[in-house]
Amino acid sequence: MVNWAQVIFNSGVTGSLYLIGAVGLTLTYGLSKFPNFAHAEFMTLGAYIGYFVAEQLGLGLPLALLVAFLIAGLVGVLCYRGIFQPLAKRGASIIHLMVASIALGFILRHSIGAAWTWKPLYFTATWSAFDAGPLRITGLWLWLIFAALVLSLAMHFLLMNTKIGKAIRASSSNPELALASGINVDRVIWITWFIGAGLAAVAGIFRGADTQIWPMTGWDIILPIFAVAILGGIGNFYGAIAAAFIIGLAENIGVVGLIALGLSTTYRTGIAFLILIITLIVRPQGLAMLFRRA
Amino acid sequence: MEDALLRIREVSKHFGGVYAVNGVSLDITHGGVCGLVGPNGSGKTTLFNTILGLHRPDQGEIYFHGECINNLAPHQIYELGLVNAFQLPRLFYDLSVLDNMLVAARGHQGDRLFNSLFLRRRWQEQEKGLIEEALDILELVELDKWVSSPAGELSGGQRKLLEVARGLMAKPTLLLLDEPAAGINPVLGKKIFQKLADFSHNGITFFVVEHRLEILFEFASWVYVMDKGRIAIAGQPQNIIGDPTFYTIYLGEE
Amino acid sequence: MDPLLYVFDLIVFIGIFGIVSLSLNLEFGFAGLANFGKVAFFLIGAYTYALLSQIGLPFYLCLIAGGLISAIFGLLVSLPALRLRADYLAIAVLAFGEILRLIVKSEDWLAGGDWGITVSSAISLAGASHRVDALVNIALVYFCLFICFTVAQLLANSPYGRAMRAIREDEIAAETLGKSRAKFKAQALMLGSAMAGVAGGLYAQYLHCVLPGMFMPMITFTVWIMVLLGGPANNWGALLGAALVEIFDRGTNIVKDYFVLPIDPSNLQYILFGALIIFVLLYRPHGLLKESSIKTKALRLAYNGRRSIKNKRS
Ligand SMILES: Nc1ncnc2c1ncn2[C@@H]1O[C@H](COP(=O)(O)OP(=O)(O)O)[C@@H](O)[C@H]1O
Ligand SMILES: [Mg+2]
Repeated sequence: MVNWAQVIFNSGVTGSLYLIGAVGLTLTYGLSKFPNFAHAEFMTLGAYIGYFVAEQLGLGLPLALLVAFLIAGLVGVLCYRGIFQPLAKRGASIIHLMVASIALGFILRHSIGAAWTWKPLYFTATWSAFDAGPLRITGLWLWLIFAALVLSLAMHFLLMNTKIGKAIRASSSNPELALASGINVDRVIWITWFIGAGLAAVAGIFRGADTQIWPMTGWDIILPIFAVAILGGIGNFYGAIAAAFIIGLAENIGVVGLIALGLSTTYRTGIAFLILIITLIVRPQGLAMLFRRA
Repeated sequence: MEDALLRIREVSKHFGGVYAVNGVSLDITHGGVCGLVGPNGSGKTTLFNTILGLHRPDQGEIYFHGECINNLAPHQIYELGLVNAFQLPRLFYDLSVLDNMLVAARGHQGDRLFNSLFLRRRWQEQEKGLIEEALDILELVELDKWVSSPAGELSGGQRKLLEVARGLMAKPTLLLLDEPAAGINPVLGKKIFQKLADFSHNGITFFVVEHRLEILFEFASWVYVMDKGRIAIAGQPQNIIGDPTFYTIYLGEE
Repeated sequence: MDPLLYVFDLIVFIGIFGIVSLSLNLEFGFAGLANFGKVAFFLIGAYTYALLSQIGLPFYLCLIAGGLISAIFGLLVSLPALRLRADYLAIAVLAFGEILRLIVKSEDWLAGGDWGITVSSAISLAGASHRVDALVNIALVYFCLFICFTVAQLLANSPYGRAMRAIREDEIAAETLGKSRAKFKAQALMLGSAMAGVAGGLYAQYLHCVLPGMFMPMITFTVWIMVLLGGPANNWGALLGAALVEIFDRGTNIVKDYFVLPIDPSNLQYILFGALIIFVLLYRPHGLLKESSIKTKALRLAYNGRRSIKNKRS
């Protein structure tokens, strides 16, 4: 007997994680016009920093989130400034930018491996699980959903009501026009990289706390996160919200389906890959037309 | 006009709300140079791109040799002998000038995968002949000193010349030239038109967009004037020059 | 370990990855395709080899079948994928490779799941020493490499290769000059996949096994490093890149065995790879060897005889 309430709830949890992970990817993709594969390692880095702050220093989850956000954001800006901006200035093709981002991923992933070894780490803080009606819930999941809600509201406020947010939207949809109308596009881009990498770190902590932390933590979920960014329409925050929950649902309902069909549940990750491929082939602009461009 | 080489009927193409080409009908007959003029933004390039198959027309039909080419891909249209030289040169910048020319050669046996691996003899001979032709054309446009240089090393004017030369290399039946003399020094520009006239004796028909009216009108036998996506007037150059609407449309906006 | 055997082993790896590097060079260097799923076609070749050799087919048929099936997949993938922009294509084929890896990982009945399949050597001589075995492998691998290299060179130096490069430079212009980009790209992907498939078969029989863990996306990116380092659109560059990356890989492994470093060499290796590739992209985007020009007999004659052609005319 399938507990559908649990399936829906789990979808919300999965979607929340993917949303937090995908916001930075979709915004930097929209602005810098290439997919940053090292976004995966921004997540991994966040997970380790979070582990360091919360477990090794024992300062708790909220502070871990904050510190990881700031440090990873800084790393994101430095990577943009040190690698991607110079490459773009030299007229690098999109393929070169993608390869560079993968190379950056190598550097970050293996630096993390060198610093913490490849042995998986676990958050020891126990997230009390409790039952609410038909649902089994853990404290971590509530934190995660709460974080996704706060993020959505904050991003909505940022994009709609602040100068920088409007500048991000303008630069993403038409960089030449934005430049011509006096927007400092360069500043917009690095601020976006800061926020994007910082949010990736937050997602990394939640993923790490929910499963394990190892140097592949981010890479393990990078393709579902690409799926969210692309299904939502590149650079489109509101599209990403919808896409995150669509993919969350697809994965969790998919697992039910896989079990019913007698297939291995290792295919769970493949569901997002399949959605990704189908979106790219059938509708590469994603859901973009359905949402106000943001 | 059953024998028209290119027949365009009520062709429209719009981008969003903008009608770049709006119900254009025209005929190009065999031989000679046919001109297309009009102010910037009147839709000339868009019309060319639509003929080429780069845009699918929203309405209307395009016939080449009596065959409807609306639904053909650009490479199929090229195979029929309808070739284009772009307004803004689109060269293969990392390839040599000569290789740029050879890419354009129509019916090169070595373009096929199988032949390139197994029948190398077959196209080597052909390529020798094509190289001769390419060198002749390059000499004509004064690029013969640059044969082995990458196209990316050419100056703006030379790029334009190579773009035109590449079109000639395909030995088309109809060659669309989008502002061939723009950015080239006037003397050479005029010389190129003279050469084009020579080629037209060899059976190539030219459909030319050109802002240098004094040159175009000397060589064209028929001119279409385009304005706001429509053909406003058409006629022989001397009649066009005498037509007052021509001045209001064209020169009035310069 | 026998040092000579160590060198032989290195030579075999250079050969196998030389083939994969040539295949990516064909797709990316010449045709401009961002194949981020190279490992998928390597995997197909390897598993085809493993499964067919299990039912007793001779090694050469297994190798050929691996190449063919991989080519068919290359063609199938190309049908929907070639309309895509470079970045979309890259992401789509990367996901395709991961799906394949999930399938061989999950389907125990077919591909042995996590435990993989044991594969016997292509050619096993009775009573031969390890060294002789390694030499036989070198002969087999370099025979295949020679064929792939010859094909790649013939293509590169032909009107066909010229058309491919034209599509890489400007696919719209090439299309209006009669080059069907769909056809050329599909053929590039098909040929590249065939080569990668053969290399996969060689890899499977050399390592005596296939496991899902052997086909991580890391393989794809290692091959990208080879091509970008050696020089895209230069087949010698692809081989040079493969040799340098493999030697570097061994070098760090030797360092690991004999020295104590403050940082684990296998991590250091990838950090250096990453830094190297970013350095190459920034300061030497054309790689070590620059793009080879197109050489046909007719062109050679023309260039050598150019002055005389001109004199004759003037
Ligand atoms: N790809 C396009 N997308 C949107 N609008 C276009 C596009 N190409 C041309 N236009 C518009 O169509 C009109 C005609 O342009 P064009 O054909 O280039 O004119 P011309 O060649 O006569 O100068 C212009 O208003 C131009 O802005
Ligand atoms: Mg124009």
